Amino acid sequence: MSEGDRVLYAAHLGKRYRQGEVWIDALRDFTFDFPPGVTAVVGPSGSGKTTLLNLLAGFDRPSAGEVYLAGRPLHALGEDERAGVRLAHAGFVFQSWNLLPTLSALENVAFPLLLKGVPRRERNQRARALLDEVGLGHRASHFPHQLSGGEQQRVAIARALALDPLVLFADEPTGNLDSAAGERVLELLLGQARGRRRVVLVTHDLEIAARAHRILRLKDGRLVEVRASP
Amino acid sequence: MALVFRNQRARPVRSLLTVLGILVATASMVLFLSFGEGLRQALAGEMTKFGPEIRVVAEGTGVFGVPNPELDQNVLDTLKAHARELGIARLFPAVVMMKGSGFDPATTFLFYGLPEGVTPKDLAPAAKLVAGRLDPHPDGAVVGKQKAEQNRLTLGKVLRLSRRAEVPVVGIVDAGNGLADSFIFVPMKLLQKVLHTDQYSVVLVYVAPGHKADEVAARIRALLPGVDAQTTSEAIKYAERAIKIGDVIRFGISLIALIVGGLLVANTVMMSVYERIREFGVMRAIGARRGFIFRLVLLEALLLAVAGGAVGVAAGYLGSWVVNLYTTHAVGLALSAVTPRLVLFSLAVALALGLSAGLLPARVASRISVVEALGRL
Ligand SMILES: Nc1ncnc2c1ncn2[C@@H]1O[C@H](COP(=O)(O)OP(=O)(O)O)[C@@H](O)[C@H]1O
Ligand SMILES: [Mg+2]
Repeated sequence: MSEGDRVLYAAHLGKRYRQGEVWIDALRDFTFDFPPGVTAVVGPSGSGKTTLLNLLAGFDRPSAGEVYLAGRPLHALGEDERAGVRLAHAGFVFQSWNLLPTLSALENVAFPLLLKGVPRRERNQRARALLDEVGLGHRASHFPHQLSGGEQQRVAIARALALDPLVLFADEPTGNLDSAAGERVLELLLGQARGRRRVVLVTHDLEIAARAHRILRLKDGRLVEVRASP
Repeated sequence: MALVFRNQRARPVRSLLTVLGILVATASMVLFLSFGEGLRQALAGEMTKFGPEIRVVAEGTGVFGVPNPELDQNVLDTLKAHARELGIARLFPAVVMMKGSGFDPATTFLFYGLPEGVTPKDLAPAAKLVAGRLDPHPDGAVVGKQKAEQNRLTLGKVLRLSRRAEVPVVGIVDAGNGLADSFIFVPMKLLQKVLHTDQYSVVLVYVAPGHKADEVAARIRALLPGVDAQTTSEAIKYAERAIKIGDVIRFGISLIALIVGGLLVANTVMMSVYERIREFGVMRAIGARRGFIFRLVLLEALLLAVAGGAVGVAAGYLGSWVVNLYTTHAVGLALSAVTPRLVLFSLAVALALGLSAGLLPARVASRISVVEALGRL
């Protein structure tokens, strides 16, 4: 397997945290090559799901092992280099507080384009098209506090897609939503697994996980099960 | 850039208070320093209004000192005899006498004794007659307009030079807000009698065309030992140095206000950084580099400082205007001036203030770890 193929790949990945006198292995010896499609990561609270996502996305550096995103070795790159890889190849949807509160929905979606240096006109055009895609074209000039939780998450999805990422990360994206709004957000997210794109969906809800192409189960920081969905 | 403004709008009261702090600091600096600029302008104005380019006095007389009558007839005769080779177009002697404290302009009387044939116009060429006549001879006093207003001197009022000598006011002259405007011109003979002397305080010299004042002055000093020839530009330079020292002191005082203003900005920006850690975390997660966050926060500080600085300069200008209303009334001089270079300097200081106040918060904001920032709600 060549490095260029390592769209999202981890080998013997580990993360230890020090808490006072004791060391906690939040993640241990995690090895997995994420195939295209949706991969759900499940496990009880404290099992290391968020820790794994932080490492896969390059938010944090691993204590051990290797992690590749879009062929780039995140474990060996500095802060700004990892940020550059994220901007170019990854999109994010968090549980809540995703949006920049002082920017409108349109400006939020256009933000990655701004970082990339896309000129304003084109930025706004593309952001508007993305908002239309998530069904919020009519909310473009609204600010985050004027949007419902579900709408906020959909704006976040539109923003995550702005630079057509290879990998889309979502950490409990429906955790704060009622079932109807959650369903809509979830459908939107699952629909993004097209072509080479990988979607990583962290959740503790097994019903949601069942709709992914495969499920990784973590327990006490270890990968204990890899199961293809029926 | 829009991001920078948005954050200020989101917290208008705090931003406003900070801008106000910078405003007060900048305004006070502008006002302080405007005194130096005003003095400079007043000085230059004074000096150009003064006709003779050189004053010859006894050695040891301060550049702005009132000269004692210590020049004898020989000095005058020698200068007259060598006028041509020295480069002198015209010269005349005068006697000066100061009565009163010298500190309070209202109780200070500066008598200027002019020889026959010489009028206040020969001292201040731009002088205009307001009332009466221009020539104090044979036995009158011509009073500068400002002095006349200050002491309510009108034509016919009698001035007392000594127990025995008195002169009536025969003319009021407007020397255009210059030094000569607070002089009282009298016949020289009269002052000499009062002072019991036949010597002169000063010989005033007009330089001949094609000659330079400082060269003429040097030749006079070489020719006449014990005599000093002071040029107008020398006097300006001398005063300039004194003003510069004053500038440093005034800037030092306003620096305290500036530092307080800077701390205010630093505090505001720091608070807003702590409030927005999550926001910066989201930006970094999306792919913003540290430098982006750094510049964002720094620009915020700059915006606050420059906004405060600009309004502060305007406020300082207003303050200077009010001060001048008072000083023109009290001493006849606009003591405070807000010059373009003072405006530029103040804005530069405000900019530097914002820059230094923004550096620390900007560094803190850009160094936050993404994981930690995202962990916060
Ligand atoms: N910054 C940290 N410092 C210390 N311990 C941490 C830190 N982040 C996570 N942990 C610990 O690592 C373990 C895994 O946490 P996490 O990845 O957040 O689990 P999950 O997302 O599955 O709930 C937990 O025991 C948690 O307490
Ligand atoms: Mg978690």
